[in-house]
Amino acid sequence: MLSAEAITKSFRAATGRLVAIDRVSLELECGARLGLVGPSGSGKSTLAQIMAMLLAPDGGAVRIDGDRVDVWGVRCRRELRHRVQLVFQAPRVAVDPRLRLGEAILEPLAASAIMPAGAEERAELLQTWAARVGLTGDLLERFPHEVSEGQLQRACLARALVVRPRYLICDELSSMLDVSTQAALLETVAAIQAERELGVLLITHDRVLADAWCGAVADIRELSTRDEAEAVAVAAQSRAGALNVLLRGGLRRATRP
Amino acid sequence: MTSLLEVEDLSVGFRTRRGVVHALSHASVTIRPGELLLVVGESGSGKTVLAHTLLALLPRNVDVSGSVRLGGQELLDLPPAELRRVRGRRMALIPQSPASSLNPVRKLGGQLLEAARARGLREKQARTRLRELLAELGLDLEFIGGRYVHQLSGGMQQRVVNAMALVGEPDIVIADEPTSGLDADLVDATAAQLREISARGASLLVITHDLRLAERLAGRLALLYASRIVEVGPTMSFFAGPAHPYGRELLRALPEREGKSIPGLAPELTALPGHCAFADRCPDRFDRCGESIPDLYPAPDGVLARCFVHAER
Amino acid sequence: MSASSGALRSSLNIGARRSQRLAQAMQRWPVSVRVAAGVLGVLVVVALLANVIVPLDDTAVDLDRVLDGPSAAHLMGTDEVGRDLFARVLHGFRISLTIAVLAALAAVTVGTLVGVLAGTMGGKVDALVMRVTDVFASQNHFLFGILLLVLFRPALGGAGAVMLAVGLTHWPSLARIVRGELMSLRERPFVSAAIGGGASRWRLARRHYLPHLMPAVGLAFVLTVPHAVFHESAYSFLGLGLPAHEASLGNILADGQRSLLAGGWWIALFPGLAILTAAMTIGTLAEYWREHLHPRWRSELEL
Repeated sequence: MLSAEAITKSFRAATGRLVAIDRVSLELECGARLGLVGPSGSGKSTLAQIMAMLLAPDGGAVRIDGDRVDVWGVRCRRELRHRVQLVFQAPRVAVDPRLRLGEAILEPLAASAIMPAGAEERAELLQTWAARVGLTGDLLERFPHEVSEGQLQRACLARALVVRPRYLICDELSSMLDVSTQAALLETVAAIQAERELGVLLITHDRVLADAWCGAVADIRELSTRDEAEAVAVAAQSRAGALNVLLRGGLRRATRP
Repeated sequence: MTSLLEVEDLSVGFRTRRGVVHALSHASVTIRPGELLLVVGESGSGKTVLAHTLLALLPRNVDVSGSVRLGGQELLDLPPAELRRVRGRRMALIPQSPASSLNPVRKLGGQLLEAARARGLREKQARTRLRELLAELGLDLEFIGGRYVHQLSGGMQQRVVNAMALVGEPDIVIADEPTSGLDADLVDATAAQLREISARGASLLVITHDLRLAERLAGRLALLYASRIVEVGPTMSFFAGPAHPYGRELLRALPEREGKSIPGLAPELTALPGHCAFADRCPDRFDRCGESIPDLYPAPDGVLARCFVHAER
Repeated sequence: MSASSGALRSSLNIGARRSQRLAQAMQRWPVSVRVAAGVLGVLVVVALLANVIVPLDDTAVDLDRVLDGPSAAHLMGTDEVGRDLFARVLHGFRISLTIAVLAALAAVTVGTLVGVLAGTMGGKVDALVMRVTDVFASQNHFLFGILLLVLFRPALGGAGAVMLAVGLTHWPSLARIVRGELMSLRERPFVSAAIGGGASRWRLARRHYLPHLMPAVGLAFVLTVPHAVFHESAYSFLGLGLPAHEASLGNILADGQRSLLAGGWWIALFPGLAILTAAMTIGTLAEYWREHLHPRWRSELEL
């Protein structure tokens, strides 16, 4: 089980601190399909990054199969990192623009020194994963800017699956994609989830999609343990803060010579 | 003259390093005054290129052929300056993201007036017009005018850009992906406002890949696949049962329907096949599909579909 | 399996494709860029082969031929002690270009190191380093360079002091770019994705940061070279650069100034043309390159 316990995270902002999530708890079982919904700005992506060990929370705990995560990011143990994989919401910025799709898919193996040594084996592995996510032809040899957003997201999914994770977090996997690509990606995820008892957390702002695809759906606004009045106050404060930051950013850009 | 906008046999190709990208092939659509036309398709189908051609936003490395007539006037032959004038006076664009299309450091009043003046209205006239328009959209000019864009909710921002688009009383309003990246409640608000604009009698061209939005806007629908229009007809009959296999498979892919994907990938726009572009993914494919490109054949309910299934009828 | 392994091999082996792409890119060069590349290529080859092309000794004094104008025997004439000017300009070009390239290399090294330090450490180190950078950036390159020359010339010699002076005055803009790039790279999701995939710090730096920094660093280097040529010439002209007998372009120019009054126009003209040609060709190439790179660097790299 992958669990987040009373996670709190805030970011520094020009007007103090912006609370992204406040004491949010969530549990993802192996083999389950859990949906997480909420409006934009409700902290879904922040929670995803914390649960994938990419972002350290201010408070609370993350446990993976009982192991408590205490270091985040590049210092975190590789074996632990590979157990949870995150598919980012915007594939255009989630792939190094200087890597060909094929290289990008195998990059986690190369980075972790678990890349098969033989060229034949490597090619076979790449072909297997490319076929599973529906990438064909010379697409693997192209650079990210030479393929469509949907094709790029397929590569991102392959890159996440190639390290054989036990939990997969899909952050708006398909919010920018066409319905048929969305369906294809979700079919791939569903097939692998069934094969390997993969736990899938599907983060989306599309309630209809979450209801249709997931076994259970949670709304991030209802996962916080704080009480309602407090939540409203914090939300109002955060919104004001965010707007101020936006305005200041705009002013700064506008006044720069 | 029954048609306001007539697009006839429009082809657009981009010359790139990978070869010519056939973004739009022989597209013909018409919009009558007061009509709402949805152009629906997946990314790379050519729908954005269609909008950009109408708005003269295409880059230089492009070959355009065919004809685009607005109220009988051919747009493709116009010199750039003249085209810009027509675009400014007679067409209006509702941008993809209202928040980022408005200037964050100027009060909205000034921006609204500027938009009105750019459409040839005098100061006083512009104020009256904007006041009426905003009132119809449920906003107050004095309230809005003294505020910055970030001080408004998403729905209000959307109404402000709508007012900007409508102030010059354009012949046609073009909305390019009006719901991309919006939360569900904002999608609701946007859909409601587009319907309102349509109800006011404006002709509306909506470019979208959002099938749910399309279903709520009704009107007529043109479905694009791999640079060609594959189906045109009333939106309601499309959602009741598409005449083209691609339309049918696309609707099945919606999560609330079956969530079933279409096998394979759309063909590359640099190497479009000389036969039906959907044939390789089509469950109903028969011999003829692999031989030539089908025309748009009449299907039931006033629908035209680019599929040989309807050729015999 | 052969087709697919071929696909993978080529997808993991970029070298061959890169040279192909360079050839394709060259076909799109505008005429001015092609001319500049050609002229610079000839100049560099000529400078490198100076000894082979002109068997004349550039230091051979011939008092019978003092201040002869250009002729068949001496293409660019002779100077006030009868040395062949063509030979001196060729040697001078080689010396000046070598010093300029090394000086630009020094500047780029300092700039990259400072930028990486500030960009990776962040916080107080970053603030301190960048304030120091501001101090350096606010100095007039030339005056500050003269100060450095005066201080270090006795210890390092003429050539070494010129390199130091250029190196220590031309790094701040690159340091700022490298720092900015690193900071924005660290926030890019593909870096997070690489971390999630198991990349170590070393691998992040080598595989994901460095390739993105290289264009900026390379461009800064190319843009600094013509500046360094100017600086070397100017310092030598003022007598602060290389020793007077060394045939650097600046020294020849200084000789030319004295001879101008005696009617020897050619002595100032030819080294001046050489400096101008070198600076213009490199400048044209760098300008073209810069326009096809990151738009944000365009304003920053106004050296």
